Amino acid sequence: MSLYEAPATTTGHLALPTDKTHSRSGSSYSGNYSFINMYDCPSPGSSHAVDPTVESELEELHLTEELNSAKRLGEVAEVDEGDEGDGQGQGQGQGQEADEDSSVKESDTSDSKDGTIVGSDTSGTNAGSQVSATMVGSSSVLSLARNSNISVSTRTSSIPFDPTSSILDISDQAVHDQVLKSNFDRYGFKKPSSEGSNGVSGERYNTWFKDYSRYLERNKKKWQALMKNNGLGEAESRTKPPNRFPPKSDKVKKLIRKGIPAEWRGNAWFFYAGGHEKLNKHTGVYEQIVRDTEGVHNKDTEVIERDLNRTFPDNIYFNKSLETKHLKDSQLNSSAGKEETQSIKSLRRVLVAFAHYQPHIGYCQSLNFLAGLLLLFMREERCFWMLVILTERIIPKVHSANLEGVHIDQGVLMLCIKEYIPQLWGILGKNFEGETLSEDKILTRLPPVTLVTSSWFMSVFVGNLPIETTLRVWDILWYEGSKSIFRISLTICKMCLEDTAFNSRGNVGSGAEIDQIELFQFMQNYPKTIIDPNILIDNCFKKIGGYGFGSLSQDEINKCREFVGKQRARLTSKKQSVMKAEMSDEERRALQSSGFDGEIHDVYGFHRSIMSGVAWNKNISNRMKKKWKK
Amino acid sequence: MSEAAERFAQFKLVLLGESAVGKSSIVHRFVKNTFDNMRESTIGAAFLTQSVHLAESNTTVKFEIWDTAGQERYKSLAPMYYRNANAALCVYDITSRSSFSKAQDWIKELKKQAPEGIVICLVGNKVDLKDEREVDEQEVAEYVEELNQEQSSAGAPAGKVILAECSAKSGDGVLETFNVIARALPVEDAVGGARNRQLRNKRSSGVDLSRGRQQQQSQAASSCC
Repeated sequence: MSLYEAPATTTGHLALPTDKTHSRSGSSYSGNYSFINMYDCPSPGSSHAVDPTVESELEELHLTEELNSAKRLGEVAEVDEGDEGDGQGQGQGQGQEADEDSSVKESDTSDSKDGTIVGSDTSGTNAGSQVSATMVGSSSVLSLARNSNISVSTRTSSIPFDPTSSILDISDQAVHDQVLKSNFDRYGFKKPSSEGSNGVSGERYNTWFKDYSRYLERNKKKWQALMKNNGLGEAESRTKPPNRFPPKSDKVKKLIRKGIPAEWRGNAWFFYAGGHEKLNKHTGVYEQIVRDTEGVHNKDTEVIERDLNRTFPDNIYFNKSLETKHLKDSQLNSSAGKEETQSIKSLRRVLVAFAHYQPHIGYCQSLNFLAGLLLLFMREERCFWMLVILTERIIPKVHSANLEGVHIDQGVLMLCIKEYIPQLWGILGKNFEGETLSEDKILTRLPPVTLVTSSWFMSVFVGNLPIETTLRVWDILWYEGSKSIFRISLTICKMCLEDTAFNSRGNVGSGAEIDQIELFQFMQNYPKTIIDPNILIDNCFKKIGGYGFGSLSQDEINKCREFVGKQRARLTSKKQSVMKAEMSDEERRALQSSGFDGEIHDVYGFHRSIMSGVAWNKNISNRMKKKWKK
Repeated sequence: MSEAAERFAQFKLVLLGESAVGKSSIVHRFVKNTFDNMRESTIGAAFLTQSVHLAESNTTVKFEIWDTAGQERYKSLAPMYYRNANAALCVYDITSRSSFSKAQDWIKELKKQAPEGIVICLVGNKVDLKDEREVDEQEVAEYVEELNQEQSSAGAPAGKVILAECSAKSGDGVLETFNVIARALPVEDAVGGARNRQLRNKRSSGVDLSRGRQQQQSQAASSCC
């Protein structure tokens, strides 16, 4: 029994999902829903509505103009808030992305072209849905379809689903109960089966989910009110996920931090990240790259192939064999589950296209998780451009061939921990020999804990935090930019420090050394236990009772990044000048372990003055904040 | 056998090798005795611990396991991994030639950069897929032999590369590999405290530092397995 048969049976003869973005998120639910149907409970499928495809498509075309103006408003809001510590990510350059010259006509063309790529433009709808109807019925047709036509093979056309159907509406008691009963969560991820070192039990999940779904319900009402107040059609937001969102403002920011309704997520992320501008500027580019890269074999594609099936193996949209988990293990290992899901196929195209488009990055492990999560909420073309935005603008160089951005951001994070959580720095700020790192050595020899924290940046918490918590962080990330990753990282670190289990490890008693590996293990596993996103978000941002990391500004992060980058560049050039001389392995080893301390000492004199510059800026931002309050 | 008190020693072991050769799977088989057909790619590093008990010397060896991401570009983080490492597991996939040459590169790198006296073990994983074998056992044995001869002729201190094969899926050879490594590690140094400050602080009293006869034997056996 194929997973993808399920939507066909429960959703009947759905037309192609119109909304390109949301069909995917919808399909998650659909699949999950039907999965539940198949194994857990009788079919409640009647509530699935037929998606008014054509209408929504047309509407999107007309939206672009308004969207551009909305965007400009957004920019203004950004600038206005710029000086405030927790203002909108002015460092992201989102405003620069907006194409001043993009005429309405241009945008229209791009959008409709856009449609052809995913096989969901108005004219193609019928044909598309026919194909997809066949496809969902037969898995072998699925693979045929992939080779014949890009548009057919995208998830959008292959998994028809109305994103506004009841599955997302967990206020519907029946649906709510099904999620509780199922072994899978709303997004198709397997619920943890037992309390392990790196997770929470399904039982604990359910306890939390019952409360949290009520929270979501209340929250969605607030969103609907916000949309209405911004003249963004109440009707629209009731029947299908909106394509336009209010311009950036304090109010919107607050609501974003409370969480975007899951069924709107893909569209909202794309909107606030500046996806429309990016897409409008690069009409048809993704389609072309996919065509150009089909069947390409190189170093990147090799690694990509190895990673495809290692991306979300616990999600039913990525791992077919989960469907058959109720079978015996022996059966499972045979033929079942070997077949690729549509998500895996999309993932391959996106990653290969990305490697081609960004040759200085190519493929970097962790991009598979980023793309994978995006694919749960949007179609692949949008996913592609979101990856581009993330790697160009939000966390540049983090995935580059030498991972320079990882070193830089970890340096920044360590400086931040030293500055803001000195108590934790006293424990973590040690080298491998257990000696406390002096100020001038933080950047030359990053403390080993950065091996834990670097994955927080590379995969932006995917796989580090529980899925719902990750999604809430992503809501903020696409709206506020990279400072969010630092703020959340610091919050996690502080939560670690305050955890009693950490303390029992941290204060091993009378002057005894702390077992570093135990600390690393703790910090590695701790984020997985933050199952309630509100605790993390409140700790980070709440003005009263929170940690105050919400006032760490993008400006400060940017300055700090620049500083660390410069220091590293100087260090590297010094290293090279020392290293290029002929020397024996032993000499080299000795030099390596000395960490070039003598060589870079003067660099660190420089360090202090710049760091005080950063501190100065912090004071400024504090003063500005007070001013704003008045 | 003498009634020596039980000894404890803790060592840092790092896993290196091309992506998808099964590094994390080996670790999970060793630590949790579980196996997943599809395991998520490791990003950055993962930390686990597991102990083995060597009956012949009444010694418990605790491994701090540093599991790493396999992709080439993560190499820039590698010095952080193997700094202060006592042992390295260079893993290749017996069904992939390229993974074997990658493992050879790692050994070269370790010989150049890693701390002296590091115990290196070259492990071929996925022996359950013997029908798809691409890396010849004999060839690997010859490579290791050559490597170890070079080592001794260069007058370098002992530190022969250990050779092993295993299957994380079936579990064959996994525990044995870690046992062999444990026996090759300088347990008496660690217990004595030169290497291991935590243990020195916690457990330095009443430890018998004499080297057991059996341990010597098993060490000899391990280097030619």
